[in-house]
Amino acid sequence: MNMRRYGRVFREFFRACLVEEMEYRSEFFGNFIASFFGIAIALLTVHIFFYQTDRLGGWTYGEVLVLLGVFNTLRGFIDFALRPNMPRLLEHVRRGTLDYILTKPVDSMFYVSFRHLVFWRLIDVALGLGVIGYGLYVERYVPSAADVCMFLIVMVASLLLIYSLWMMLMTTSFWVVRIDDLSFIFDSFFDTARFPGSMYRGAVRLVITYILPAVLITNTPALALLGKWRVPTALAALAAAILFLWLARRFWRFALRFYTGAGG
Amino acid sequence: MVIRVSHLHKSFRVHRREAGWLEAARSLWRRDYRVIEAVKDVSFTIEKGEIVGFLGPNGAGKTTTMKMLAGLLHPTSGEITVGGFVPFEQKPEFKKMMSLVMGQKSQLIWDIPPMETFLVNKAIYDIDDRSFRQTLEELVELLDLAPLLDKPTRSLSLGQRMRCELAAALLHRPQVLFLDEPTIGLDVHTQENVRRFIVDYNREHETTILLTSHYMGDVAALCDRVMIINYGRLIYDGELSVLTEKLAPYKRLEVRFSRVPDMDWGEYGEVAEIEEGTVVLRVAREKAAGTAARLLERFDVRDINIEDPPLEEVITRAFQEERV
Repeated sequence: MNMRRYGRVFREFFRACLVEEMEYRSEFFGNFIASFFGIAIALLTVHIFFYQTDRLGGWTYGEVLVLLGVFNTLRGFIDFALRPNMPRLLEHVRRGTLDYILTKPVDSMFYVSFRHLVFWRLIDVALGLGVIGYGLYVERYVPSAADVCMFLIVMVASLLLIYSLWMMLMTTSFWVVRIDDLSFIFDSFFDTARFPGSMYRGAVRLVITYILPAVLITNTPALALLGKWRVPTALAALAAAILFLWLARRFWRFALRFYTGAGG
Repeated sequence: MVIRVSHLHKSFRVHRREAGWLEAARSLWRRDYRVIEAVKDVSFTIEKGEIVGFLGPNGAGKTTTMKMLAGLLHPTSGEITVGGFVPFEQKPEFKKMMSLVMGQKSQLIWDIPPMETFLVNKAIYDIDDRSFRQTLEELVELLDLAPLLDKPTRSLSLGQRMRCELAAALLHRPQVLFLDEPTIGLDVHTQENVRRFIVDYNREHETTILLTSHYMGDVAALCDRVMIINYGRLIYDGELSVLTEKLAPYKRLEVRFSRVPDMDWGEYGEVAEIEEGTVVLRVAREKAAGTAARLLERFDVRDINIEDPPLEEVITRAFQEERV
């Protein structure tokens, strides 16, 4: 796979989507305000929690804010690149236009996951980063270079994990062509990730930590930035990300074999 | 040769269900499957630069075969090579040398002008700026796209959109072009334009073209060679004119009189139609000229026309035969 070429294709997707958005003069301001209110409410919720207590699952107010920032950033990325593509894949399968994608000399998994981008969702990413900064300020913690480095590594791992989980969910549309929006399944478990994993108890904690690692995805980067990283954890996160990416890839290939009737 | 297909088979396992509530519920846990053989033992070769028409009634296996050639379906058995590639391996080099246009499905981005789709394809096919500009210029001229390039695709008419689809599919200069019902739903005038374009483009670039169509006009105008498929079997592969001679070994004699004589036409030929002032006779090919001469000699004929039977009639006959 030629990275530079894929970079060019991605840039072209981005440009086409920008033109598409402009065609409808999407209410940039409306979206901006909605995103802004979203994060304000989330902040308020955290604030209300801390009227009752000064620790949430062992996390301080500032630490929870950093976590919330990470959550918002990651969700911004999902809404930017992944979410817009889910209903389209269903549509492609149902209408048969997937055939065109399969005749293109570009990786089909890459195409179906990044063809549609909603660029103004990057506002959520920016707001998320802002909240992270504010959290660090409340916590009076200045991350070291090593902290930032670790943060970046686990953040990449988290993005890969999210992408893989999302992709696997999306791939089911080869069989479940009737459900118009599968993303609510993803949302319902990803929403658990806005809080510290240590808040959850028993089976729930087990599931969202190890089986659908929602909590790991947000908690690990937040902890890393707060200086509470451990190299084995970071490596484990990276290894898990690569494993899930591999699984997602395998599953996509399997689905395509099913679609094209090869050994299916 | 560019395309080689030998002993191609494709069967699908389809889920069968009777109508009704009970059956619907039952099928949740017990499914009956039935195997449908869509393509049976099909073999052919196509040379570089040929335009071949692929004919058959709905569900005969045309599109299935074409999808296998384009690498979208995996054959159950048999071999295919297209330009030296095995299509279902889906190698990028293969995808760069072929293109697929489906009349009923669009690859253009709906809400924005066609030019944007062209630019996306430019990146996807990794076309350099110079060849992109050249190709686009040529296509814009041949297909008369200049006024369409900056209008949103959704506002284009079906015919205008089809012209843009063709351009989008040809930007990377494919050597093999698969056209699945390219003129479906178009008005006569636009059909004409699309056909002329396909002929010109083929002549200019020696692109190998395989085309399916319901419209006999397409086939008659574009293809010297036709393949007819019915119930998954290839029943004819050869020149269109030979097919006509074989299946319809007669000519149509359309004779116009001032007043149609009331008589038995049996000695001249078989009566196909009789209308006021006109008699249409079916006459064996070799006798057509002689019969016409005799008619002119014996009757007060105002006009006489000798023509081949319409293609529809020939094809309908072909579908009824087991093997041509």
